[in-house]
Amino acid sequence: MTHTGEQQTQQQIADLVRACAGYWELRGVAREHLTEMQLELEQHLQQAVSDGKPLEAVLGPHPTAFAEAWAREMRPCVLRGGARVLQGLVYALSVVSSSALLSQLLAHAPAFTFTLFTAYVLAGSGLLALLLQLGGFLAPRISTRAGREALLLAAIVLAVLLLRLAGVTVNWSTALLSWGWPVTIVLFALAAVLFSLDSWRTFHRARASLAFPGFPALRAVTAFVASVGVFDLLLFAGGVAVADFCRLALRLI
Amino acid sequence: METRSTQLLKGTLDMCLLATLAQRPCYGYELVQQLAQRGLDLVSEGSIYPLLSRLQQHGYIEGYLVASRDGPPRKYYRLLPAGAKQLERWQAEWDAFAQAVARILKGARVDAHR
Repeated sequence: MTHTGEQQTQQQIADLVRACAGYWELRGVAREHLTEMQLELEQHLQQAVSDGKPLEAVLGPHPTAFAEAWAREMRPCVLRGGARVLQGLVYALSVVSSSALLSQLLAHAPAFTFTLFTAYVLAGSGLLALLLQLGGFLAPRISTRAGREALLLAAIVLAVLLLRLAGVTVNWSTALLSWGWPVTIVLFALAAVLFSLDSWRTFHRARASLAFPGFPALRAVTAFVASVGVFDLLLFAGGVAVADFCRLALRLI
Repeated sequence: METRSTQLLKGTLDMCLLATLAQRPCYGYELVQQLAQRGLDLVSEGSIYPLLSRLQQHGYIEGYLVASRDGPPRKYYRLLPAGAKQLERWQAEWDAFAQAVARILKGARVDAHR
């Protein structure tokens, strides 16, 4: 196998394992089982590939059916799957509260307005992250990650075009909610407390796990704060760009 | 469409896994290789993992991690006493079933020759 071909296969394996792990997490498989399942699957795929077998020989024609069959045997719990969704909500809360805090501090504004655009970006980003992760299930059929992402992009563009053709128009600056300083501070504190609790839980579980003994707590916190900061920045830049675009479109009309 | 041998294997794979583990502890890929050496080729090798998890939940086998010098630890499975007893029961059940099917098939062959 050529170096590029080998890299591509390794990418396929990593994406497939990531997709299965994401699926199992959402199905509510316990974390201590999850790490071992990932490990077993990855080692099996690696060995099968080195013996010249295709990925389908391990996972069959439908990797989702394989992931579901294994999840069913692991006594999944809906509440555990909910914890994963809760993590996403904590992230969204962190983005909104920090965005409100920053905009109120920088603009000396007494209130923050949560627009339809912000809600759309947050929900869309969550959905996109989930689809990109589960897109790994397509790895045996569409071997390159770029190919899978292109398919996803094409599906989104097609959906937008269909909505446009159906005559759906949206006013992105519609205000959904508006609140002042006290609520911003409460939301920010709530996000910080929930994130701390989740990190503490992850840290203790990682310490108990034999397969993955290390949990870089400081690195995880730094990555989370940096990621929220970048998201805030993109949200602000995106909001300005959309507002400018709408103004320009109105002028042209 | 599934072949008859695939369907037969589906119903007996848990028993075959227990029988293989009765010989010595193995990890997942090794189990697939052992089955293949004895003539059982799985359509999807990964189908052993849900079964191994089920056998583990029933207390027939146990999984344990073995540290590796080359990389992350590897999960091995070994047979437990409850699994050995269950294997005996399944073997007896299979022997009776296989003998009954063999008798029926033998009868059909005799009738066809007349």
